[in-house]
Amino acid sequence: MSPTPLHLLWLLFAPLALGLLAWVRPPRHSGLVLFVAMPLPLVALWLLLGLDDGPMAGQLALGPLTLHWRLDGLAALLWLLTQLLLLASALYAAGYVRTTTLGQRAYAWLWPLMGGLALGLGLIWIAADLLLLYAGLELMGLCAVGMMLLPGNAEALTAGLRYLLFALVGSLTWLLGIALLLGAWGRLDLAGMAGLASVAQPDPVTQIAVALLASGLLLKGAIFPLHSWLAPVHGSAWTPVSAIHGALVVKASFFILLLLWRALLPEAIAGAWALGLLGSLAVLWGGIQAWRAVGLKQLVAWSTVGQLGYLMLAFPLLAGTSAAVALMAWQATWLQLAGHALAKAAMFMAAGNLLLSTGAHRLEGLTGTSRRLPLSLMTFGLAAVTLMGLPPSAGFTAKWLWLQASLASGQWLWVVVLALGSLLSAIYVFRVLRCSFVEDAPEQAFRSLPLGMELIALVLALAAIGLGLAAGWPLSFLAPVGVP
Amino acid sequence: MTIAPAAVSAAAWVLVSLLLFLAGFCLLHRNLWRACQGFVAFALLMSLAWLVLGSPWLALAEALLGALLTGGTLLWTLRGRGALPRLAPVDETPRRARLSAPLRWLLILSWLGLSGVALVMLLGLDALSPPTSTSTLLTATGVLIMGLGLWAFSAQRHLLRRLLAFNLLGSGVFLLLAGVAAPVPVSMIAHLEPAPIAEVRALIFIGLVVALLGSVLGAALLLQLHAQAGQVTLTPMAPRHPGR
Repeated sequence: MSPTPLHLLWLLFAPLALGLLAWVRPPRHSGLVLFVAMPLPLVALWLLLGLDDGPMAGQLALGPLTLHWRLDGLAALLWLLTQLLLLASALYAAGYVRTTTLGQRAYAWLWPLMGGLALGLGLIWIAADLLLLYAGLELMGLCAVGMMLLPGNAEALTAGLRYLLFALVGSLTWLLGIALLLGAWGRLDLAGMAGLASVAQPDPVTQIAVALLASGLLLKGAIFPLHSWLAPVHGSAWTPVSAIHGALVVKASFFILLLLWRALLPEAIAGAWALGLLGSLAVLWGGIQAWRAVGLKQLVAWSTVGQLGYLMLAFPLLAGTSAAVALMAWQATWLQLAGHALAKAAMFMAAGNLLLSTGAHRLEGLTGTSRRLPLSLMTFGLAAVTLMGLPPSAGFTAKWLWLQASLASGQWLWVVVLALGSLLSAIYVFRVLRCSFVEDAPEQAFRSLPLGMELIALVLALAAIGLGLAAGWPLSFLAPVGVP
Repeated sequence: MTIAPAAVSAAAWVLVSLLLFLAGFCLLHRNLWRACQGFVAFALLMSLAWLVLGSPWLALAEALLGALLTGGTLLWTLRGRGALPRLAPVDETPRRARLSAPLRWLLILSWLGLSGVALVMLLGLDALSPPTSTSTLLTATGVLIMGLGLWAFSAQRHLLRRLLAFNLLGSGVFLLLAGVAAPVPVSMIAHLEPAPIAEVRALIFIGLVVALLGSVLGAALLLQLHAQAGQVTLTPMAPRHPGR
């Protein structure tokens, strides 16, 4: 049996249905969640393996409306990653509710929002026109805001409101960009626009439209000058929510931006360099802020800002470079995205575990954890291996490919950025480790956590490292520098 | 029912000036109750504008989602029900500090400048000065409404007013979207397909739903925030705000 569009439809809507079910009866045991939600990543894996004979694509006619979709290797990989991380986060949430006191209603609301988030992300991965992308982006954004607000205290409310206002304005910027594109091209499907863009010179209207689309996406993706909402929102959010948000939600905006850029302005070198420079500033600024952060969750959130900056290096390395360079940069980008998603989810969970059992919020409160909570601290360290780009992790492989691509294309600037970024991440990670290895701290009362919560984080951190060892397998599904 | 072209034009000018007046009223009035009522009237006029542009379903959606539900939510937020304390009906918060004004204006002007330039290139200068058809007139109005909305969104602090400003900004974007895509655009690219009207309506419909959900969420949060911390702005140190 080979995959059909009906299977895709099932995988899109099954998480939402499960989420609504869990809204009525919120689960309190990880085993139940595992049993019910395990088919989702398995189906996603089956879809990926069923793509042997080329990508699937099609159209869905709803009355006068035509929607375009497409499932290629990249989309299937990202979908699999999404389902795995959502499952991990759901398992963690079921343990989290037993160790903390969460509001009953707020906890019930977590599940439908998670289902909506899965639907939105799935739509984004398989969309091939701007209308579906818009619908997916908005659904994802609203669900993400809702999840961030669940704690319900004043701090979370202010941070969430700021996030909401940013996201709403970002979506209007994006809609304005679509309006202009529609005026210039008269169509919304990406394949058709890419076909026209490859023969025509880019006109100013398209450039303005892509600039507007890009600023909307940078706003939603927390990329450098527009990142100010990210750290406060993570400071107060629940740990499983932070893990999904840092791992997936901000990546989706980057994915759309790269997709549109490759389709509409593949040769715009100046714009690509501008995005690359923004990314470099993000790497440096995020690293410095993570170094200076007071709380552990803020540190992890600022490190997301920095790590997203690396992804932006894809733009200059893909625009107008030779095929070999572009291939390396292309593979490095997706490897970094997947590796960082796994490692960041692991790191948020490990940080959450440390904070939960010490009851502290500041870094200084972690003293003595090296003896009492070795497993969580080890998970944190293993996740940090990927973030710092040490071998054999996915982060190392990605940075190695980027280094080669920058040297081969003569873009020396990115070598400096990569080196400085790794140095900064080493500094902030060792700041955490130094605090936790202080031995002469006053004895504190540590709470013991369920073993499951620590194991999920550990598995994710090990997966990020394993992805570096077995990078050949996922990369074999990627089309050589995909033009949609 | 057909109306003579000249009559459409005069009615359209009246519609546009009313739209602009209500947008300004709703953004500038410090009495929030009045401002929200102004927004309901604005949304009803927008619905009339969709009817003039020939999309009755969109008109229905705007009346239902925009005027009834979004406007109703905002008014309900002010009246306050249940245990949560009421918001003060008059906005007493000062505008943003002058320190960040140049940056703000730079952003607003670049947004308006970019969309204006793109509009002129898409529709041609001849069609815009003066506007030759109802749809170009409404498109140009959309740019002005966007300008008002952007200014209010960035200058004001009261969260309810910022939600109003966001809704107006959205309406401006919708008008522009309908205007650039509805007529056959004068463009450099020769092989154009007929304008995808159904897609445009779907985009605007999703936009209306998002605006409604965003407003409902924002209003609910504002009430919670007001109840917990006594603040109606994002930054807690709003001066002279009476704690309840």
